[in-house]
Amino acid sequence: MRLTALDEVAAELGLRHGQGLAEARAMYPAIDVAEEDPTADKALLEAIADWCDRYTPLVALDGSDGLFLDITGCTHLFPGEQALLDDILLRLFQMGFKVQGAISGSPGLSWAICRFGQGGLIEGGGGEEVLASHPVACLRIGGGTIAALNKLGLKQVGDLLSMPRPALARRFGGQLLLRLDQALGHEEEPISPRRPVALLSVERKLAEAIQAEEEILELAARMALSLRASLEARGAGGRVFELVLFRVDGRVFRIAAGASRPLRDPQKIAGLFAERLKCVHDELDAGFGFELFRLNVLQHDSCEASQDNLLGKAEGEAPLADLIDRISARLGEDVLQAFQLRKSHIPERAVFAHPALGHEAETGGKPNPAVMTERERPLRLLARPEPVEAFAAIVPDGPPSRFRWRRVLHDVARAEGPERISPEWWLDQETAQERDYFRLEVASGHRFWVYRQGHYADDYRPTWHMHGIFA
Amino acid sequence: MAKHATAQERLLALRETIAKLEGKTPTLVAEEGRQGERMAATEKGSRRIALEVDELDAALEGGVPLEGMTEIRTCAMRNAGAGSGFVLALAALIQRQAKGSALLWISDRFSNVEAGLPYPIGLAQYGLQVRHFLHALPRKLEDALWLAETAAASGALAATILEIRGNPSAFGLSESRRLSLRAKAARRPILLLRHAGEEEASSAVFRFHAEPGPAAERVLPSGTMLGGSIGSPVFRLTLEKSRNPAPLSFLLEWNSRDRQFCLARQPEPSRLAGDATAHSGPRLPASADGSDRAAALGRLLAFDRAS
Repeated sequence: MRLTALDEVAAELGLRHGQGLAEARAMYPAIDVAEEDPTADKALLEAIADWCDRYTPLVALDGSDGLFLDITGCTHLFPGEQALLDDILLRLFQMGFKVQGAISGSPGLSWAICRFGQGGLIEGGGGEEVLASHPVACLRIGGGTIAALNKLGLKQVGDLLSMPRPALARRFGGQLLLRLDQALGHEEEPISPRRPVALLSVERKLAEAIQAEEEILELAARMALSLRASLEARGAGGRVFELVLFRVDGRVFRIAAGASRPLRDPQKIAGLFAERLKCVHDELDAGFGFELFRLNVLQHDSCEASQDNLLGKAEGEAPLADLIDRISARLGEDVLQAFQLRKSHIPERAVFAHPALGHEAETGGKPNPAVMTERERPLRLLARPEPVEAFAAIVPDGPPSRFRWRRVLHDVARAEGPERISPEWWLDQETAQERDYFRLEVASGHRFWVYRQGHYADDYRPTWHMHGIFA
Repeated sequence: MAKHATAQERLLALRETIAKLEGKTPTLVAEEGRQGERMAATEKGSRRIALEVDELDAALEGGVPLEGMTEIRTCAMRNAGAGSGFVLALAALIQRQAKGSALLWISDRFSNVEAGLPYPIGLAQYGLQVRHFLHALPRKLEDALWLAETAAASGALAATILEIRGNPSAFGLSESRRLSLRAKAARRPILLLRHAGEEEASSAVFRFHAEPGPAAERVLPSGTMLGGSIGSPVFRLTLEKSRNPAPLSFLLEWNSRDRQFCLARQPEPSRLAGDATAHSGPRLPASADGSDRAAALGRLLAFDRAS
């Protein structure tokens, strides 16, 4: 076992990275050792990244111990860039983290100054001078390249800057120059944010934290009200909303809710969250309250404005859509299903179910294609055909005269069929066998849909299956 | 005189209580009282959907209520087809009359495994409009009850079908009453389909027991029947809970093309239990005009020992 991280005290004692644990213990028997837990570290970093969402929606992870924040266009919310940086560092310090931070024109430069310098704010254009005095390791290049550079006496970035570029490219490849250009801001370097950026979002900062569900919902309704103008300007209504709650102690909760049609009405948007809050009730631990709220629109669709009629009710009132939204918000999207018909002769492929929430959007309001068959289909179809033991079938293609299904013996009283359904060779293998379907009424009056797969032959006994139940 | 007045008042109060239990509005009772003890149900209070079978509609006082809960039970899971068939036939009738065509089927996961999932093509052939057929698969019974309540209260659906299995303790009298009241308040029907369930006190207005009966034969264009064919489904129904004192049994045939019920041609006495076959074959005529058996000779002095 080796040391992977040290706190300040340990570093002062002279312990170093990569040192054997036994050696460190021999030197200082009193040290406390905690085993490394990369997953927990990652979770902590993710939580901090979530918390950083309050500054900008574009937060990216950097390795196992760093974060990139793209604060373009966000600084005007604070007195300035320095104030923003101070605010972040102070709040994180109060939470018990030791953090270095830097603001500069490029991610590479900030990275270098955070990890190899004092951090702070670098004004635009000052990158070259600042970087010149830093070691080459600050360029985010591989260990082999660093060693090779050091061997040649190129210890600082300044040494590299004075070298002719073609020679460097020849000797060390394009990566070194790319990193150098990125650090100096000559080359664009996009950061990849952890979450998709919301199309629209509204934020409310509260002087006093709130805990109660009603207050949260009221606030959500008020935020939705201010969202309305932006949605109307775009001629759109939101389909997927997300409510982000920042707790006082830094934890962040995200609650997403979908709607089956584009929504603008603040009360309806708040209503979605009312159902969601009821079902996530236990997981949403209010603690000392939430201080910052954000309502995001993650997805929106075009929606025509509807005019209220004289009674004050909008024309497009859709109680069914409201019901679908409520149920899907409360119990999850998968619970409520709608059906869509498909052009197929195979019974189980002729229909497919998908969440009712996206039904209108997916089908575009088009009616179902015509049913392919006129032959009678059962009311209930078994999820997968169940084997049936059939006796005394009329060979070669008649119905059985009795059969055993789920250990019960049924005597066939009447039969209709066969209805032959050929396999879809373009989906199934070409060796797939035909099905002969029979409607059977047994002596007790039950009616079943049974099929035989394949045909009787000298060396082949086809299998029988139960596929559905008639009324 | 004063005594008479208090007695009257008490009588009226009691009548009002009874009316409340029966689901009528007190004002109606007052009117009825004024009109002089006319106890016939006024159709103003509750909308009903007639099954268009006269005997049955008479027993149901006009039909299956469109405001409130109707229960359909089967005694075993194997009769799920008949239960579902009757429920869906009722739903088709309701859908034909209602403005909105949406239906919600709240299914029970176990029943889905046992009896299969509702199959839209089959439903469409059965006479239902499947454009807005919604199928809910709640994980727990509590969720299913919440769903049924919300769906009925929203007023967006023509009918809500709640499928449950057996007699779960989480769906007792109080829950059923709650559901029933919701349906009444929203003036929407809830059809409760109980698979493999026992008779149980519930707040459903009517309870049917459904069993499969032998299907009617197909009718040929010439008007004759095609022997050996399987035509419209027939249910052997027993009206277990109604205002009638005695259960009423009948064979009902559902014609999915006309979306209509009619009484099946060969009425047979109902059996609630027993495994006798539906096709019991031709019955022998009761013996008549035969000679009695020979009288035993002698006189009976003592019975045989039973053991």
